Amino acid sequence: MKPSDGGQPAADGPLDEVDLGILGDIRQAFHEADPMPPDLPERIRFSLALRDLEVEVARLAAEEDRQVLAARGAEQSRTVTFDSDSLTIMIRIDSNSDGTARVDGWLAPPQRREIEMKTTADSLSVASDEQGRFAFARVPRGTAQLIVRPAEHGPGEHGQSGSGRSVVTPALIL
Amino acid sequence: MDERRSVAVPASQADRGARIASLVTAARGGSDDALGQIVTELSPLLWQVARAAGLSSADAEDVLQTVWLRLVSHLDGIRTSSALTAWLVVTTRREAWRVRAAARRQFPADQDWLAALPDTEPGGEERVVIDDQRRALWAAIRLLSPRCQELLRIIAFVSRPDYSAVAAELGIPRGSVGPTRGRCLAKLRATLAAGPEGSAR
Repeated sequence: MKPSDGGQPAADGPLDEVDLGILGDIRQAFHEADPMPPDLPERIRFSLALRDLEVEVARLAAEEDRQVLAARGAEQSRTVTFDSDSLTIMIRIDSNSDGTARVDGWLAPPQRREIEMKTTADSLSVASDEQGRFAFARVPRGTAQLIVRPAEHGPGEHGQSGSGRSVVTPALIL
Repeated sequence: MDERRSVAVPASQADRGARIASLVTAARGGSDDALGQIVTELSPLLWQVARAAGLSSADAEDVLQTVWLRLVSHLDGIRTSSALTAWLVVTTRREAWRVRAAARRQFPADQDWLAALPDTEPGGEERVVIDDQRRALWAAIRLLSPRCQELLRIIAFVSRPDYSAVAAELGIPRGSVGPTRGRCLAKLRATLAAGPEGSAR
């Protein structure tokens, strides 16, 4: 039996243009009905870039936070909590009038750490105070990730400095 | 076997295979950029693999993260685009089953992802013909066995030179999609050809 227009196509016939057309239609149908979130590859690239570091990975404290995390450019302020073995990181994201985001954060237990905000454009660094508070006044919108590093001990510094490991959050959308 | 209608692999697809292979080599050498390009290229396929296995969107995202992290330690054994795609597909599917089995213990979920898909959205007048074809396609897909539905959904997102390697990894016993059409595609095509709207292609 010929695998062409006349009659039934044979299962052992070679793939032809019609088959490839049907596969193309299937692809298009599923692409429209159930598309991959467009920013997923970017988030995966982010987490792969950290693979070599000796880090603790913080997880979302609650499943509801997942929607909050993905609410790009939301007008209202959003609060998300991340948990790792040694640290809880809570952040509040607000909008600045110039379109950037403001991020206020708290570490528990409270401690001085170096906090890095990695964005696709560049990397911002601040330090938390002894109450564990930190703030990024202006962060470009887009994908970002927090890395909480051990604080460098200055002379005469006191206070709990936490463990020696860095803690990273999953990528978040500002 | 009638070879006349079989289609040669276009040069652009052969180029793609060579490009992926060189990206794999660069990624093995530690290039995050090369690895990132592979992620961008193949994640849409893996998304379909995870969703076809019945995962929620959130679980599918987690599975993809896991699979890509795991690839990094498996790059040594991978040399070609076909080997890479087959490894990613089978690892994603296996990880998806594991996650699904764990979720099932908590609440018995229905696994009919096809039923969960939205109906074709209403479109303008000019879309009517396309919508009719789309409806006929969904109807024909629903008539297939779950196994065939999954296989075709996955294969449709695979680059053509990699069909055979992926079909082999999916454990298609015979008539795999690749050099031949295979049982699933033959049945779908026959159903479409017999459609009432003359939606034969």
